[in-house]
Amino acid sequence: MAQVFHRAANNVAKISIVVAVVLAATAGFVYTQLARSSYLTGQHVEKQQPVQFSHKHHSGDDGIDCRYCHTAVETSYSAGIPPTQTCMNCHSQIWSDSPYLEPVRASWRENKPIEWERVHDLPEYAYFNHSIHIAKGVGCSTCHGQIDNMPAVWQEHTLQMEWCLQCHREPEKYIRPKSEIYNVQWNDSELSDEERLQLKADYKIRSQEMLTSCSTCHR
Amino acid sequence: MLKSKFKVQSSKFKVRELISGLKLGAWNVRLFLLFAFCLFAVGCRYDMQDQPRYKAHKKSDFFADGKAMRELPEGTVPRGFLREDKAFYQGKTEGGQNATATAPNPAATPTMDSSGNTLVTDFTGLVSEFPLPVTEDLINRGEQRYNVFCIVCHGPVGNGDGMIVRRGFSKPPTYNDDRLRNAPVGHFYNVITNGQGKMNSYAAMVPPADRWAIVAYIRALQISQNPNGNMQMNSANPSNANAPTPIMNNANPVTTNNANVSGGAR
Repeated sequence: MAQVFHRAANNVAKISIVVAVVLAATAGFVYTQLARSSYLTGQHVEKQQPVQFSHKHHSGDDGIDCRYCHTAVETSYSAGIPPTQTCMNCHSQIWSDSPYLEPVRASWRENKPIEWERVHDLPEYAYFNHSIHIAKGVGCSTCHGQIDNMPAVWQEHTLQMEWCLQCHREPEKYIRPKSEIYNVQWNDSELSDEERLQLKADYKIRSQEMLTSCSTCHR
Repeated sequence: MLKSKFKVQSSKFKVRELISGLKLGAWNVRLFLLFAFCLFAVGCRYDMQDQPRYKAHKKSDFFADGKAMRELPEGTVPRGFLREDKAFYQGKTEGGQNATATAPNPAATPTMDSSGNTLVTDFTGLVSEFPLPVTEDLINRGEQRYNVFCIVCHGPVGNGDGMIVRRGFSKPPTYNDDRLRNAPVGHFYNVITNGQGKMNSYAAMVPPADRWAIVAYIRALQISQNPNGNMQMNSANPSNANAPTPIMNNANPVTTNNANVSGGAR
């Protein structure tokens, strides 16, 4: 009886196994990279706003404290978007005839809120609270990056669960003293490992089991 | 949602018939169903991410003003939030001047300074003693709040040379002259609460207990800039030991203390 397969079929079979494995691995790799890409996460994408508001100018050049506008950050889950009145505290007098600020003045005249574009949009099945992070020593720039260098704000990190968990697993690597929370220039290398562990104890940060428990964030 | 579910299912059945017509194995059908399920699950994901509920600052198509965050109707007093203590919440004495007026001292004859500021010289009807005990914690809290809200115009020691003034805002009067050294503490509280001249009201941004903390720090600044003067903190009224206190550190967000709630209306 004649042979059904040619001799080369042995090689084809071996190579096809290798190719299948490589293809599967590549597909998996492409999937993980795609899921983390800024196309899907919005990371590092500048958002255009109805007013050309520059955090670089107000926070960086003028040195206005974050809490002047985001007044609720210490007491609420939301940091708070300032009402138009906060803009008018200064802009009733300075740049008061600038065309860039016309949307602000229109909002003030007509008593209509400015419709800002949301930059950081967490999925709504994740619970997030600003005040507890502030109270436990997580600084603004740890999550929001160098806001004082952003003319238009972008999302500094992926905001994916793996990113949240990095810190929830090892909070001591990311915390800082109370006095430095709003210091956007803070450099994480300023603290030694011992100081970090001491801070973690002082803040009474809960155990890793507690911080990474499902219901801590998905409640 | 339901509609699309049925659509997906019916198309699945059609395709299953098609596939079985081609005499493919049951495995292929299962794989295909898995694939279809994945597509379906991806569709679900976005519904869960953006649920039809209101969060802070969201837009509303339901309310006429387009805001999901509702404001209290004017004149509403939430239970337990009645601001009876006039000295603490208004900085004015009982039966003092213009109990209902918002502008401080309308009756006083104002003078103007070179920057066009109206200088109030009549301080009648304003409390001259702090309605809460002045402690180191209070002054530290006041320093922190001053450096957030006041420093932008009034400058680090209250001379009216803050960054916003350097950017072109008109210069506010200095704290460090005899007029304001002799002003009662109620005056500063009143100005923070109701605004004055070119300064807007900061009532929505700074709750009452924090305003008193800032006033205490302003007094401390005045003393620091006039060390040989005979100024004193006239404070620690023991009858006010139970007055609401500000949040002294961020570790204890106060929930029961009504002085830390700015009233809800923004």
